[in-house]
Amino acid sequence: MARSVAIVGVGQTHHSRRRTDVSQAGLVREAVDRALLDAKLTIEDIDSVVVATGPVLFAAVNQPEKWVVDAIGASQKPLVRITSGGGTGLAGALAGYYQIAGGLAERVLVVAYDKLSEGALQYSISTLYDPFWGREFAVGIMGFSAAYWRARMDILGHTEEAAAMVAVKNRRNAMQNPYAHVKKAVTVEDVLNSRPLAWPIKLLDVPPISDGAAAVVLSSEQQAARSTDRPAWIRGMGYFCEADNAAARSLLVSEPLALAARRIYRSAGITNPRRQFDVVEVQEPYTCFELSYYESLGLCAPGEAAELIRSGATQADGDIPVNPSGGCAGANPIGAAGLIRLIEGAAQVMGKAAGIQIPNAKLALVQSGGGWANLRGIAVLEA
Amino acid sequence: MLPIPDTFKVDMPALASDLRMPYTLTPGRATGTFLAEIGSHRIVGSKFKKSGTVVVPAQDFCPLSGEAEYDFVEAPPTGTLTAFTETSDGLIGLVRIDGSDVDFPHRIVGAAYAKLAVGQRVEAVWAEGVKDSVLALAGFRPAPNAPVGAVRPLENPAKPLEVIPYSMTLHYEHAFGPYYGRLFDEIKTNRRIMGVRTSDGEGALVPPRELDDISHRPTGTWVEVKQTGTVRAMSVIHLEFLGQKQPPPYVYAEIMLDGALTRLIHNVAGFDMSRAKELVKPGTRVRAVWREERTGSLDDISHFEIIDEGAK
Repeated sequence: MARSVAIVGVGQTHHSRRRTDVSQAGLVREAVDRALLDAKLTIEDIDSVVVATGPVLFAAVNQPEKWVVDAIGASQKPLVRITSGGGTGLAGALAGYYQIAGGLAERVLVVAYDKLSEGALQYSISTLYDPFWGREFAVGIMGFSAAYWRARMDILGHTEEAAAMVAVKNRRNAMQNPYAHVKKAVTVEDVLNSRPLAWPIKLLDVPPISDGAAAVVLSSEQQAARSTDRPAWIRGMGYFCEADNAAARSLLVSEPLALAARRIYRSAGITNPRRQFDVVEVQEPYTCFELSYYESLGLCAPGEAAELIRSGATQADGDIPVNPSGGCAGANPIGAAGLIRLIEGAAQVMGKAAGIQIPNAKLALVQSGGGWANLRGIAVLEA
Repeated sequence: MLPIPDTFKVDMPALASDLRMPYTLTPGRATGTFLAEIGSHRIVGSKFKKSGTVVVPAQDFCPLSGEAEYDFVEAPPTGTLTAFTETSDGLIGLVRIDGSDVDFPHRIVGAAYAKLAVGQRVEAVWAEGVKDSVLALAGFRPAPNAPVGAVRPLENPAKPLEVIPYSMTLHYEHAFGPYYGRLFDEIKTNRRIMGVRTSDGEGALVPPRELDDISHRPTGTWVEVKQTGTVRAMSVIHLEFLGQKQPPPYVYAEIMLDGALTRLIHNVAGFDMSRAKELVKPGTRVRAVWREERTGSLDDISHFEIIDEGAK
């Protein structure tokens, strides 16, 4: 029987387009210091460390966990690095969760980061593609994402206007988030008239490129009380994959996300996600993905995402707020993005989301994913 | 897995692939200060406040205690060799600068491997005219009589370098294997696009592969798929980015060739790009257009053209 695991401390950097005052290691240190302070612990109290970063081509340091050990103060502790594209942050948290749930550690520090200002982002992402089959035509992840959004338009009604409403919502929410660095309200017209990058994806459908780090302290039930009297209990967490170029891969509804939701909801006792969850944090990062995730996560039926955003239900004051933090629209340090979503969800159920707090939030859903559309995961957090 | 016969050729041509990645690295305060000072022939270290640990070259975080509070020190240009080896690029060694608690990896110059010994005294050799790089220090040379120096507070430290331009060129030789090998041989020689039948024989997997992704059973026989197909998904690329193979705008498309069950990524072209949104949609029928050149890659297909269904 797995042991209960809680998030007892969270920390993130004030993300920015470019931090020239710190190295990658310095960025890591800021997030670690903040998470440990929040958990009322020091690095001596930590049994094991997980370092999570995106592809090394992003910032040219291979095996960066070796380098950032000193910044974490992790010398002599168990340490692993986890990487899984955009889903890196959640995958890293999952690696820590398993250690405590399995009884192998009492407290695990998970730190995730990327310093995207240092490298050539779309070129790096294009190397995810098979060098024989598609890489020469790859446009980072954007060409692919836009192409399947275009397909979902016809079949599921995910219009440009509906996605623009996601941009308007998330960018407005980000203005209240002290850690976000893009803080500018936009209108639906602004989004629709913004420069096409990979049509239907336009400039304002796209998150910023960011430098940032995030860290959480995970704890067993026995040790949680030392840090907080209101931890965020992890009621379920999982990360699923689908085949890469198999037959029958529709890419219209996210198959691995729907699978993750089905499995984790069952173990967490979620039967009506729209009604049960008080708040949802999704790693969009493009606006079109948020619409797709509404459906894959069961917040609405396939084909109803455009109506869900239009109804206002996912606004901060709606019945199922999605991304009150602003999501990736406010900051998107890719390797950290999944962990930032987990932190925002945890902060909500811990009652310390300050200016972006959803009143009485007790149950939060967190989504993250990586590798084009292949890898998707969720976490269910409860006060 | 398929058995590999003894006669299997192992020295086959591979796909050469070069990645040329530019970077703007941020060294942080300690390394940035070290690099800003090294061109002036000052070796900068960090002395951590709580533990007193001295780290040369300077680091932001103590490798022993993890502490982050430190003062800069100027280290002497002398030290002791703690390890060394000979490489095709010359001698490299670990040097414990006098007063430092950690080793500094660098070149050992003006010395023969056979004459080196752990514990021997060394001194810095400066490269003239090099700035902002650890190579402003050409290396260390044996100096039996070098006095033992000491670190002292760094006076008037230079402003740290914040951004270091850098680049990596990575060369790969990807093995085709028997399935990609035949696929691209057929494309090059016969202008045919080949797949393999699924384990239940219904339709073809392209690119061909040894195992069916869904059933995990061995795939079936080879089969040629049509050079016509249907656009499953498309986007119009306006974005410019490093590594891009063609100037925008162009259409990125995922195409299901007739007879195939899987997607092929390519471009749809041969029309007025300003009308791309209306002319190319999910469901649009397309046909491969071959180039004259034969390279044995997907690039032998210039693009896919729209099949004018009305003209039939």
